[in-house]
Amino acid sequence: MIKAIPPAALFILGAMLIPFLRGRVKQLYMLMVPVVAFLDILYLTPGTSWVYNFLGYDLIFCKVDKLSLVVGYIFIIIGFLAILYSLHVKQDGQHIAAFLYIGSSLGVVFAGDYFSLFAFWEIMAVASVFLIWFQKDKDSLNAGFRYILMHIFGGCCLLAGIIIYTVSNKSINVVILEPSFAYWLILIGFGLNTAFIPIHTWLPDAYPEGTVTGSVFLSVFTTKTGVYVLARCFSGVELVAYMGGIMAVYGVIFALLQNNARRLLAYHIVSQVGYMVAGVGVGTAQAVNGGIAHVFNHILYKALLFMCMGSVMYMTGKRKLTDMGGLAKFMPITCITFVVAALSISGAPGFNGFISKGMIIASTVEAHMPVLELMLILASVGTFLSFVKLGYFAFFAENPEIQSKEAPFNMQLAMGLTAFLCVFIGIYPKVLFDILPYSVVHYHPFTPSHIFGVIQLFMLAGVAFILARAMVVPHRATILDFDYFYRMGGRGLLWICTAPMSKLRSTLQVRFSRAVYIISRLAKNPISILEIPTAYVYLRITKGLRYVSGYSSGETYDEDLYRRPIGVGVLMAIIILFVLVLIYFIF
Amino acid sequence: MKKILKRLFLLLAVVCIPVGFFIQHDHVVFFWHKIPSIEAIFGVIGALLLIVAAAILTSFAQKKEDFYD
Repeated sequence: MIKAIPPAALFILGAMLIPFLRGRVKQLYMLMVPVVAFLDILYLTPGTSWVYNFLGYDLIFCKVDKLSLVVGYIFIIIGFLAILYSLHVKQDGQHIAAFLYIGSSLGVVFAGDYFSLFAFWEIMAVASVFLIWFQKDKDSLNAGFRYILMHIFGGCCLLAGIIIYTVSNKSINVVILEPSFAYWLILIGFGLNTAFIPIHTWLPDAYPEGTVTGSVFLSVFTTKTGVYVLARCFSGVELVAYMGGIMAVYGVIFALLQNNARRLLAYHIVSQVGYMVAGVGVGTAQAVNGGIAHVFNHILYKALLFMCMGSVMYMTGKRKLTDMGGLAKFMPITCITFVVAALSISGAPGFNGFISKGMIIASTVEAHMPVLELMLILASVGTFLSFVKLGYFAFFAENPEIQSKEAPFNMQLAMGLTAFLCVFIGIYPKVLFDILPYSVVHYHPFTPSHIFGVIQLFMLAGVAFILARAMVVPHRATILDFDYFYRMGGRGLLWICTAPMSKLRSTLQVRFSRAVYIISRLAKNPISILEIPTAYVYLRITKGLRYVSGYSSGETYDEDLYRRPIGVGVLMAIIILFVLVLIYFIF
Repeated sequence: MKKILKRLFLLLAVVCIPVGFFIQHDHVVFFWHKIPSIEAIFGVIGALLLIVAAAILTSFAQKKEDFYD
């Protein structure tokens, strides 16, 4: 039997062939890679394989257990759907970046040691930034640079943490970490990708600036690998659980105020990832199950939301809610799939979000964390409100100026299939429960209390929304986030480099070059060191006297008058030689 | 049509509060799980809290679109 290979290799090596193919063959090839990867992952057997010795440590490229498998499945499924969505894109670069991005994310998921995890982690950051830069405008270029700078910072923290951990523990295997200096550094590294507050700013900054298809990929992989590694290394850490709660609430408050549709979605990633982080942080079997189930479901509906907003942007060229409205008439498929995704993310009964969100909230109750429960319920209210807002202003509000057609067929098909999966898991969650890391024993999602509770929550929140709607009507404005401090700090640093530091540099340069000039002049004739001041003083005096008396001798400078006999030079050379020889013999 | 839908929605929202009295919470752990129709209260309070928080945030963090340019 052929040994199953790490799925990361299929995508990373698969990317190399893309530039050599054309037309339908290329499209078919790109769709076949995730299919082959899915078949491959089905053949992976639990345990570790593809282990290589490197500098005395074991690099494990394929550590397979239930946790890595469930994340692997969804990464490949969404990889297929997102590739289907982007089939019409002509630029090979975008496809290659997307393939490398999917591949490296799978690499992180199946990595069994910190070294290979770090390597894939960095490939992920570099590959993903190209999905932003391919938008090819000034905003995306700048946002991409800010994105990569923050990820480099996170990568450096992670690397430092890994090195300290390796030196002190003599092991590089990925395991649950114990508090130490390395622990905090690794937590910052992982936390940056997971969009911990306040190091989340790269996410709402860069994701709305990606290409139409690139943002679909972006919305899936970086943050979810972050949640995955937190589940591997920081499961059951209370701080992480509460960070999840903060992220959930913080994300929705900012989302409520956004005008750029994709930025609104990006803030919802922060919020939804907050749920997953909370689940992982609570750390009980049900909580981790809930967190990972939410990873699975969130990937589906969030990618679908980015697909829908991407279609709107692709067909109308509009990004802002203030410019949209009335699109339901022109883009019915996009509108229906959007409603499915919006109900899924809100956690409406019958849609996939309902299942996993309920699991996480129930686990916080089980773990006796009342504050966290209330935070997550609050975030759930906010999610519903902001999707009412987004749906209304994008698809249903009146806008007589707008004209559009439905998106290309491949985009519609991808949206339709993703929407189907959202509903399918929402109605038949057993398929998901069967692949979760721990067996689901005590959780029953469809109880009257759970279903009715969610309906009540949404109904009454909807009433409050109708009454206070004016407060969240989109405006043409920027809402400052923590990135204000980073950007202003960056500008300050730039100013320090260009103004005072540059002045200091030029002053020092002038001083140094003058000193060098004087020294080189003196070095030509060291004997004259003493004579120069004497001659200078003599010259001043005689010049002064002459000026006073009005006398001019008419003498001109004659260099022979000041030149030393050649014997002096020879004597100097002999002395220096003697000293050198002396030094040589003594030492 | 829009008005009818809005009224229907408000009516349903009002009706769902007394219905909540007949449905008990699955696992009563914290005291609020015992209160009937607590989710309705959470819905209203949550929405108002978020809208107030958003309004406070707008008051100092809302700038012109080209603020960073």
